[in-house]
Amino acid sequence: MKHRTLILIAAAMLTASIAAQAEPYKAPRTMHGVPDLQGLWTNATITALQRPDYFEDLVLTPAQAAQWEKATGEQFDAIDEISEDGLEAGGNVGGYNSFWMDPGTRALRVGDEIRSSIITEPASGRLPMRLGARAKLGQFLMRVQGAFDGPEQRPLGERCIVGFGSTGGPPMLPVLYNNNYQIVQSKDHVMIHVEMNHDARIIRMGAEHLPDDVRPWLGDSVGRWEGDTLVVETTNFNPGQSYRAAIKHQFYMTKDAVVTERFTRVADKEIFYRFEVNDPGAYTEVWAGEQTLRATDGPIYEYACHEANYAMRGILRGARLQEQDP
Amino acid sequence: MKHLRITLGLLSLLGCSAGWSEIPRLPNGKPDLNGVWQVLNRANHGLLAHPARAAGAMQDGPFGPVPAEAVIALGAVGAVPAGVGAVEGNEIPYLEGKAALQQDNQANWLQRDPEIKCYLPGVPRATYLPFPFQIFQGDQAIFIAYEFAGATRNLFLEDPGEAPVDSWMGQSYARWDGDTLVVTVTGQNDATWLDRTGNYHSANMVVTERYTPRNGHVIDYSATIEDPEVYSRPWTIRMPIYRRVGIDARLQQFKCVEFVEELLYGELRKEPLNPGRQSPLPKD
Repeated sequence: MKHRTLILIAAAMLTASIAAQAEPYKAPRTMHGVPDLQGLWTNATITALQRPDYFEDLVLTPAQAAQWEKATGEQFDAIDEISEDGLEAGGNVGGYNSFWMDPGTRALRVGDEIRSSIITEPASGRLPMRLGARAKLGQFLMRVQGAFDGPEQRPLGERCIVGFGSTGGPPMLPVLYNNNYQIVQSKDHVMIHVEMNHDARIIRMGAEHLPDDVRPWLGDSVGRWEGDTLVVETTNFNPGQSYRAAIKHQFYMTKDAVVTERFTRVADKEIFYRFEVNDPGAYTEVWAGEQTLRATDGPIYEYACHEANYAMRGILRGARLQEQDP
Repeated sequence: MKHLRITLGLLSLLGCSAGWSEIPRLPNGKPDLNGVWQVLNRANHGLLAHPARAAGAMQDGPFGPVPAEAVIALGAVGAVPAGVGAVEGNEIPYLEGKAALQQDNQANWLQRDPEIKCYLPGVPRATYLPFPFQIFQGDQAIFIAYEFAGATRNLFLEDPGEAPVDSWMGQSYARWDGDTLVVTVTGQNDATWLDRTGNYHSANMVVTERYTPRNGHVIDYSATIEDPEVYSRPWTIRMPIYRRVGIDARLQQFKCVEFVEELLYGELRKEPLNPGRQSPLPKD
C-alpha cells in the first residue's frame, strides 16, 4: 500500500512538472496591466561583447564554460599579487585591486545556453565594423592613452559624464563594476536607473522622438509593448558618446545609429534582453546581441563620481609636472 | 433657452472645478504623484525672506555694495530676485555660534556653493532648485529623477535600516500617512547646502518631507529639518510644487559636469585660457 501511494505521488508530481514545463511563463502584471519588469537587475558576466579568438561557437559546453570561469577567476585573483620585491621605483603601480571590481564570475547564460559572446548576429560574434569606423575607434583608443592637454580629451567615464563604456548604453553592456539597474514603471513611462553614473533613462511610452537638435547623453528612448515584450527604440545620440570603450567592449557608433532593445521577463528572476544596432554609417550590417538581466538584491548605492573626481585634477596636474620635468 | 444655456455652462464650469480639486489616484488607490513637477519660488536664492539684490557675490563700493568682479559681466542675469521666504517663522534656529559659518559661506559663495560645482544637491535643496523633477511611482517603488546634475533618488517603501554610509542624496524611506507621502531622509553627508546664502547642516541631519497633493496640479510640500549639532530646534520649510503640463511635462537633461570643467580644471590645461584664474577646488 505504501509503495502504491509513493508511486501515485511520484506520478502526480511528474504530471505537475510536465504541466508546469508546458505552461509558458506568464510575467506578473503591474497595476496598469502590463508585464512587470520592476526591480533590481544585473548584467554582470565574464562574457564580453565580442567572441574571443579561442572560441569558435556561440554556445559553449558546460566543460568549456567551467574551464573558462576557473581561468578567469584565477586571473582576477592574480590582480592582487604583488612581487615580494615590491614595486620598482617609478614603475607602473597598476590600477584598482580586485576589491573594487565586480565584473561577475560566470559566463553568460541565455535560456539553456552558455554563451561565448554577447553578440549573436553576425554569427561570427564579431562587430561588422566598417574600415572607416574601425580607424576612428583605433585613433580614439590611441589618443586616450596619451592625451592630457585638457579634460575634454579624457573619456566620458573619467570625466564623470556617463559611466564607463556602454554601461548606460543603449545597448547596456556589462563593465568592470557597478553592473546594476533599477526599473520602475508608471502608466506612461519606464525608468531605468543605471547605477553608473546615477543616470535615469526615461523611456516615454508611445511618444515621439525629440527634435533632431536635442541629443542627450544616452540618446532619446521611446517605448512600446509588443505582446509581453517592452520594445525601446533609441535615437538622437550625442556625438560625444560615439566611442564606447571599456575593458570588455570597444566600439564606435555614429550619432545617427538606431538601437532597438527588447525586454522580456522570462522568469521571476530573469529578463531576456536583446538589442539590435542599426548604424549603416559604421557597420556593414545590423548587429545584435543578447543578455540575461538577473534579479539582484541590491540596494543600488549612490555612484557619486564627479563630486570626488580627484583623479581628474591628478591626471592633468601630473601631466603638467611631467612636462616641466620629463 | 438662453437661461438654460447659461445654467448648463455654469454647471459645466462647476464640474470642471470639482475635477480640479480631486486627487488623481492609481488603481491601487494611492494618490498618483507621477509626473513632472517644479517649485516656482526663490528658496534656492535664499530660504529666508529677502529683497532683490544686484548679485549673489558682492564687494564694497563707494556708496554701498556692488557686484563682485567675478560676476559683474552677468549684469541683470546675475542678480538675485526677491523672495517671500519659505521657512516657518522666517527664522533658521542656528545654535549659538553656528550662524557664523553660514555668513562665512555666503561671503565665499562662489568658492563654496556645491551648486556652482554641479555637485549632487541633497535633500531638500533638490526640490526647490530652479529645475523640474520627475516622479515615477510604481507598485513596488517610488523614484525621483531631478533634472539638475541628473540627480536621482530611490524612495524605499520598506524600512531599509540605517544608511550603510553617508551619501550626497542620502537614504530615503517613504510611507503613506493618509494621502500624504512622508519621506524620512537620513545618511546625507555634510557637503550639501540648503540655499545660495550658505545655509548648511551636519551629517546628522534628518529631513522629514511631506508631499500632500492638493489636487492633480499642486502638491503641498514641507521639509522639517532636525540637526541638533547645528540647530536649537527642528524647523520647517513649506512651499507648493506645481505640475508641468503639455509640452513642458518632459524632463530635459542638465548634466552640468561638463559645463563646470573649465571652472574646476581650467587652470590645469596645458595652455590655460585665463592664466591666473584659480579653481574653487582645494589645492593639491
